[in-house]
Amino acid sequence: MNALAVHEEVKNVAAQARPVLRVRGLSKRYGTHLALKPVNLDLHAGQVHILFGENGAGKSTLISMIAGANQPTDGSLEIGTHTGGFTCVGEARRHGVRAVFQEFSLIPDLTVADNIVLGEEPVRAFGMLSKAAARSQVRELIAGLGFDLDADATVADLPRGKQQMVEICKAVRQNPKVLILDEPTASLSEHDTKALFALIERLKAQGTAIVYITHRMHEIPLIGDTLTVLRDGHLVASVAATTPESALIELMTGRTVSADIYPALRSDLGEVVLSLRGYTTRSREVVDASLQVRAGEIVGVAGLVGCGKSELGQACFGLHKIDAGELALNGQIHRFAHPADAIAAGLWYSPSDRKREGLALVRPASENMTLSSLAFGSARGAWLRRKAESSLLRHISSQVDFPVPRLGEAVGNFSGGNQQKALLAKGLAQNVNVYIFDEPTVGVDVGARQAIYKYLGELSAAGAAIVLISSDLPELLGLSHRLMVMRGGRIVREFARDQFDQHQVLEQFFD
Amino acid sequence: MTSTTTTLSSPAQPAVPASSPAWLTWLQRHRQALVLPVLFIGAVLIFTSFAPGFLSLDNLTNVARQSVYLLIVALAQMIVLIGGGLDLSVGMIVALASVVGASVMAAVLQAMPDSPGLAIAAGTVAGLASGAVVGVVNGWGTSVLRIPAFMMTLGMSSVVFGVTLLVSGGVPIYGLPPEFGEVFGFGKLMGVPVPVLVALGAVVVIYTLLEHTRFGRHLYATGGNQRAADLSGVRTRRVSMYAFVLSGLLAALSGLLLTARLDTGESNIGASMPLESIAACVIAGVALSGGVGRTLAVVVGTLLIVFVQNGMNLMQVGAYAQTMVIGAILIAAMALSRK
Repeated sequence: MNALAVHEEVKNVAAQARPVLRVRGLSKRYGTHLALKPVNLDLHAGQVHILFGENGAGKSTLISMIAGANQPTDGSLEIGTHTGGFTCVGEARRHGVRAVFQEFSLIPDLTVADNIVLGEEPVRAFGMLSKAAARSQVRELIAGLGFDLDADATVADLPRGKQQMVEICKAVRQNPKVLILDEPTASLSEHDTKALFALIERLKAQGTAIVYITHRMHEIPLIGDTLTVLRDGHLVASVAATTPESALIELMTGRTVSADIYPALRSDLGEVVLSLRGYTTRSREVVDASLQVRAGEIVGVAGLVGCGKSELGQACFGLHKIDAGELALNGQIHRFAHPADAIAAGLWYSPSDRKREGLALVRPASENMTLSSLAFGSARGAWLRRKAESSLLRHISSQVDFPVPRLGEAVGNFSGGNQQKALLAKGLAQNVNVYIFDEPTVGVDVGARQAIYKYLGELSAAGAAIVLISSDLPELLGLSHRLMVMRGGRIVREFARDQFDQHQVLEQFFD
Repeated sequence: MTSTTTTLSSPAQPAVPASSPAWLTWLQRHRQALVLPVLFIGAVLIFTSFAPGFLSLDNLTNVARQSVYLLIVALAQMIVLIGGGLDLSVGMIVALASVVGASVMAAVLQAMPDSPGLAIAAGTVAGLASGAVVGVVNGWGTSVLRIPAFMMTLGMSSVVFGVTLLVSGGVPIYGLPPEFGEVFGFGKLMGVPVPVLVALGAVVVIYTLLEHTRFGRHLYATGGNQRAADLSGVRTRRVSMYAFVLSGLLAALSGLLLTARLDTGESNIGASMPLESIAACVIAGVALSGGVGRTLAVVVGTLLIVFVQNGMNLMQVGAYAQTMVIGAILIAAMALSRK
């Protein structure tokens, strides 16, 4: 109680100081659509200000204007002696504002070190690059941050989580006054998340003001000080980060959401429909994996980024060369050379990166949803069947709660949550009975998340066998009948539902 | 915010500034869709005022006939572009089909002077086959060897040009059956030139292929996001192979029609086709990054280019200046339609 009081006092002192950055009446209009209604916001030194809201609520618009990536229609920013908007990211940086967006600004073919120093390279006489200095500076930086990152690795070779860390290194290198982090933990492993939180604590101590966007509610009280809720382009409220979850969800959605977001698990399981024995890929990203999934069962696969859990799903789907072991699907042994073979045999894999692997963004949502089904089932044949297609579209859109009137729009125009729904709808378009979902809820808000869990529950209730690959441990614990933990390409431990324990599971992640 | 506990902020509501007028926002939003009609109507208006006889039936028939060759090649280019590729070898395929088709026709006619129909059929099949072969090699190089389409088709362009020169010896090939030129070069059916009918047929087939078949859907998806298409069970290697083969076939068809018009097999035709076909596609809104493009828009884009050439001819603008104008139009269209 006493400690808490002291804490509050410290906060109050900080709050009374002059804010590092003031946002005054900032608004943004696209055409006739007011994406962000005038917003006031104060960012204080040494505080983490969390922005919270559904996909499309205006969070991204707000931060992109603060970071200079986007120009406000009206309103102003005040930082130091500067008043008014930023015309470009460079100007924002000169005033000490740095942002890490979800879309990375990394050069894929350069090394980690080259990327981090890009634009601020150390030079020797005559403007020659000093590569050695760059490398040692970057190594020092990475070690100081406690990240697990190789300065000489090429960025394109890194998984998304590591690329995220490179972005963060880049942003904090010049000690920013204001640091904006847009869902930084969405693709980070637990270990790197801990390192990031430690870094945030240190930046706070140095007096950096941090804007933090997250959909993970358990992170809010861990690192937040103040929290601002946005809904439909409105600033709904600014509250303390210790506000209970249920109250936050109510503020965010404008309605009360039931506390239990996971569907009830089906208890009667059918035959084994998917079975792996000693499955090993040529790349050795998956080694000697054995796994059985029954009809109606949800089997979770957990592990750190890079442990081989995504590759396990891809290998089942014919995306990796298999060196050893066998895969049996509905009682038949297969070795798929292309996803088309896997789909024909009754297996579906839903990728984790919806923009790179899941959707053709320039094409309409409708075409994306039915693409995989054109070669199978009743749609088979050279000609498209428009009527059958549109009735299928209505059916699968309503199952995932996708807005039917907007089916004809390019899928790239939709918010992350709706894109994810379109991706999931693809899995319903053809007749398969085994599903592998790779990070089905990455970067989606609580509302969409709940819809996705409901969808998984319905699939399982209808008798589908599901492999759920995820980095979100609470979600795995909430949804799975059994849980597999992978480490170094191997399945190292299996947990039955009655043995589920967050700490024991996490222990298995590390050697 | 003066306190950290549940402070509701009340955002001040400054008056929203008078934004730009509605028509300007509308223009901005539809800029990409407007490029083609605006350029097209603009060109027609300019030439109607300054080029004598531009809108006469004679001249319009002439334009239709002149458009055929570029139109068929532009459709070929469109198919490859939609699938996420690029075909710089279309021009040399035109020349190859002309030389191969003419050689076979002349040889068959010499052996069997009484059956010109057989000679025409044999030459046509040989010409189309030569184009298809180049398409197969392009498709193999891009999808199996994973060479960027730009380099693969640029290299093939040089290879094919060499083959064409070897076959023809660099001189025109004479001795075609006269019926070939009479029907496919200058013939008319119910008042419509035969080449125009052939081109219309090609438009209908390709429109149907893209809009109503599974292959069309797969092509758009492959160009839109190849990885996602593969993960959706689309065999994208096969799709891009078909795209290049179709492109080769269409370019060869254009080469054969040109041969009928010229009455000789020529190795020095088609050099301007790659640029002009890409221009016709880009003006028509076909995305160079793949996944976007409409058949009918490409028809209009081609007509625009031929209108400009024809109008400048009527205004007696020199050939050198015309080349400059075509390039400038391409760049202007890109500038206007960029996102």
